[in-house]
Amino acid sequence: MSVISPAVAPGHEEAAQATPSLARRTVQVFTRNKLALAGVVVLALLLLFCYVGPLVHPTDQVHTDLSQANLAPGSAGHLLGTTDLGYDLVGRLMVAGQSSLEVGLAAGVLATVFGTVWGAVSGYFGGWVDAAMMRVTDAALAIPAMFLLVVVSAIITPSKTVLILIIAAVAWLSPARLVRGEALSLRDREYVQAMRMMGGGGARAVFRHIVPNAIGTVIVNATFQVADAILYVSYLAFLGLSIPPPATDWGSMLSSGITYTQNGYWWLIFPAGIAIVLVVGAFNFIGDGLRDAFEVRLQKK
Amino acid sequence: MRPGRSPARFRVVAAAVAAVLAAVLSGCTQQSGRIVPAPAGAAPVEGGTVTMALPPAATPNWIFPIGPPGFSATYNSSLQQLFFMPVYDAVQQGSDLVPTGPGTLGEKPVYSDGDKTVTVPLRRDITWSDGTPVTARDIEFWFDLVKADKADWASYTVGTMPDDVKKFEVVNDHTVRLHLDRSYNPDWFTANQLTLMRALPQQAWDAKSDGGKIGDWDRTTAGAKAVFARLTAHARNLGSYGSDPLWQTVDGPWKIAAWQDTGQVTIVPNPKYTGTQHPHLDKVVFKPFTTADSEYNVMRSGGVDYGYIPPSVLAQKARFESRGYRISSWTGWAVSYIVYNFHSTHAGPEMNQLYIRQAMQHLVDQNGMSDVVWQGSAKPTLGPVPAFPKTQYLSPRMAENPYPYDVDAARALLTSHGWSDRDGTAVCTRPGTGSTECGAGIKKNAPLNLTLLSQSGSTETTNMMQVLKSSLSRAGIDLTVRQQPLNSVLGNSVACKATDPGCDWDMSFFGTAGSWYFPLNPSGEELFSTGASANFGNYSSPEADKLIHAVLYSSDQDAMHAYGEYLSEQLPVMWMPNPAYQVSVIRGDLRGVRQNPTATFSPQSWYYVKKGADQ
Repeated sequence: MSVISPAVAPGHEEAAQATPSLARRTVQVFTRNKLALAGVVVLALLLLFCYVGPLVHPTDQVHTDLSQANLAPGSAGHLLGTTDLGYDLVGRLMVAGQSSLEVGLAAGVLATVFGTVWGAVSGYFGGWVDAAMMRVTDAALAIPAMFLLVVVSAIITPSKTVLILIIAAVAWLSPARLVRGEALSLRDREYVQAMRMMGGGGARAVFRHIVPNAIGTVIVNATFQVADAILYVSYLAFLGLSIPPPATDWGSMLSSGITYTQNGYWWLIFPAGIAIVLVVGAFNFIGDGLRDAFEVRLQKK
Repeated sequence: MRPGRSPARFRVVAAAVAAVLAAVLSGCTQQSGRIVPAPAGAAPVEGGTVTMALPPAATPNWIFPIGPPGFSATYNSSLQQLFFMPVYDAVQQGSDLVPTGPGTLGEKPVYSDGDKTVTVPLRRDITWSDGTPVTARDIEFWFDLVKADKADWASYTVGTMPDDVKKFEVVNDHTVRLHLDRSYNPDWFTANQLTLMRALPQQAWDAKSDGGKIGDWDRTTAGAKAVFARLTAHARNLGSYGSDPLWQTVDGPWKIAAWQDTGQVTIVPNPKYTGTQHPHLDKVVFKPFTTADSEYNVMRSGGVDYGYIPPSVLAQKARFESRGYRISSWTGWAVSYIVYNFHSTHAGPEMNQLYIRQAMQHLVDQNGMSDVVWQGSAKPTLGPVPAFPKTQYLSPRMAENPYPYDVDAARALLTSHGWSDRDGTAVCTRPGTGSTECGAGIKKNAPLNLTLLSQSGSTETTNMMQVLKSSLSRAGIDLTVRQQPLNSVLGNSVACKATDPGCDWDMSFFGTAGSWYFPLNPSGEELFSTGASANFGNYSSPEADKLIHAVLYSSDQDAMHAYGEYLSEQLPVMWMPNPAYQVSVIRGDLRGVRQNPTATFSPQSWYYVKKGADQ
C-alpha cells in the first residue's frame, strides 16, 4: 500500500506568501491537508459514538442473555444484531471502543513521554551515557515486540492498566531513537551553548531546550504510537490475551466473531474490523498532517 | 527521512483487512464433493472404502495391546481392538452399556466364593489368522506379561489389575479363573478390571529374541520380561507395522494394510476371521490431522467420509445435509464439572457450605449453555454418573436435575443463611454456625467473591464462563475468571492444603473436551473419595467414601444408584454441560455407524447402501 504523499493542496503557494504567526501557519497547513482533516472528523465521530453513544442507546453489556443470542441485524431493538451471548452489537461496539481507545491513547502517550525523555537525555549527554542508554534500546528492539507481549499477557491476566503498561514497555523504543537523533543535533546549537555558559544544568537543557525544540517530531510520532498501540491491543485480543469478559475491545470482538465465519455471521466481524481500520487510519492521517504542519521547510517551498 | 513513518504499519492494516475479508468470503465459496444421498432403507452393498478423520493431533503410534505410559490413548486401543478381539469391552445394548457382545471373546463371567473368584468362559469359535484356536493360554500369556512388567503398562495402578489377582488359573482351553485378593462388586470388576484383559497370540509371540524358539518363556518372570522387551521393541518401530509378520497374527475382523509414520492407518478385512462380525467394506483409512481447522477444510472438500465439525458450525447443519452428509453428535461417556477447592485460602469456608454450592448450582443454566453456547452438541451433567446415554447406571432420580436454573431459588438460599445484597454483591451479615447463619469461618461483611481458573483456547468455554459469571452476579456472587492454557490450569489447580503456597484458587475448569471419561463402570473412586489422585479440590465426605467403597467391593447391584443420588445432591463439584466427544459428519450413504460413548469404533458394522460417489 502506498504511503500518503504530503498533501500539496491547491492554493498552497499563495498561502506560503503570507507571513502569519508560526502557530497560525501550522494550523493553516494542517487544515489544508484534507486527509488529515478527515482523520480528525472520523476520530471525533468515533469518540462521540463510544462515549456519548451509550447515553443515547443504553444496553446491558454485563449480563449475557442466551435467549437473544446470534440475532441478525435489523432484529427488533438490535440495529446490528446481537453477539453469540446475546449482547446488543451496537452497544458492544461502544463499550469495546472505549477500552480500545483508552488503552491505545494511554499506552501511546506513555510510550512517547518515556521514549522522549530517554532519547533526549541520551542524546544530550552523549559519551558513555549515550552508549549505555542506546545499547539498552537496541537490545530491547532486538526482541520481537509481539513475542514479549504474548509471553507477558500469558503469565498475568491483563487489566486495562496492565495492558497499558506492557504495551508502552515495548513501544517507547522508537521515539527514544528518534528524539536522540534530534537531541544530537540540537545540543550543539548556539542557544544551548549560551545557556550552558550562563551556568544552566543538564536538566534545564533537556527539558527547556531539547524537548521543546523536538516537539514536532514527538507529536507526530505520538500519533503513530497511538495507532500502533490500538493495533497491539487488537493483536493481543485476537490471540485471546486481553482484558477479561464481560469487558471487551474491538480486537476481542473480532476474535470471537471469527469463530462464526462459516455461519456467515458477518455482523460479528465487519463492524469491529472496520472500527479498528477507521481509528488506526484516522490517527495515521492526523500524524501525516501534523508532520507537514511542523515541517517548516515545506512551507518555505 | 520522514520521522515516525513506517510502511510496515500500512501493510499490517492491509493484511488485517485482507485476512478478515478472506475469512468471511471463504465461508461463501463454492464447495466440491457433493454426495448423492441414498434413499432411506436402500439395499446394502458389499465393498467400498471409508476414510475416517482421527481427532485433532491424534497420531496412532502403538499396536502392541499392552501400551506403555504415553502410548495408551483411546485411538490406539480402539485400533488395537480391530486386530485383537477384546475379552470384554463396553458394548452398547439398547441404551445400556454392557461388557459382552458379538465382538467380545469372553462370555458372561461367573462370580463365586463370595465374589472372590471369577470364572471367565471364552468363545470356542475364534482362531488366530495362522489357524491356531484362541485359547485360555493366550490370556495367561497376557497375564504373565503384565504381571512381570506392570510398571511399563499404562493401565496399571497400585492395588488393581494385576495386583488384585492372587492366582491365575487355566481351567480348560476355553475357561480361565481368577482368584481375587478380596471380594469385589461383580459389575465393577467386570467393567473396569476384566475389560483390561487381552488374548495375545502366544504361539506366535512367545520368543525371547527375534528368530528365537517359541516356548513357554512367559511362565518365568525373567522370560516374561525378555518376551515383553522384544515385543515392545518391535512396537516402537512404527514404520514396520505394515510389514512386520509379528503384527499379522490377528484374531479380530481386520488386519493392517499400511501404517505410516504420520499416523495414517489403513486396514483391510482379515480373511481368516472366524467371528460373527465380518466387515462389509474393502478398506478403511484412518486419517490423522494436526488441527480441527485442517480437518474441517478437508471435510468440506469431500476428503473424508466420516469426519467432524466444530460445534460453532452446527448452525450450518442444513448446508452439510444438503450436500449428502448427516450430522450426529457423538455423546461421550463422561462428566464435566468445575472443581471446588475445599482447602482454598481465599474462599475455602464458602466452598464448604452446601447451601452456597446449591445456590451456585441453581445459577448454572446448563440447558441454555448446551443449546446456545454448544449449539446443542453438549448435554447437561446431573451428577457423578453421565446422564446421557441413559444407561442401567442411572436411576430415575439421577435423571432429574435437583438444581434447575433458578435465580430466585439461589437468592433465597443465600438470604436465608444471612447474606444480604450490598451494591450488587452478597455480603455476610449474620456470621455464625447456626442454621440461618453464614457458616463456620465466614466473617461478618465478607463479600462472596470467587476466583475461577479456566482453560483458554475455546470459544465455547470462554462463552460458558461468561454466562456463568453473568448468572452468578444476579445473586450477588462475584466471579473472577482467569483464563490459562490447559496445562497451566492443570498445573495450578492441584490438590493442596491451606498451608501450601498457591492454594488460593477457588474453582477450576478443564472440561472443554469433557472433564473425566469413564472406562465402563462410572465409579468415582479416583474423583471423589478422600485423598484420591484426581480429587483436585480435596472433597472429603465419610458418607461418600462409604458409598464409593460399596460400588467397588460390595455385592450390591444398586450401590451405583445410591452413590450417584447422594453425590448429585451433595455437589462435590459444580456440574457443567458435558460436550460431545465430537460432532460427527457422516456420508449419507454410509450406514451401520454406531458411535460408542467410550469412543471406540467398529468399522466392521459399517456398510454402503450404494457405491460411494468417490469410488
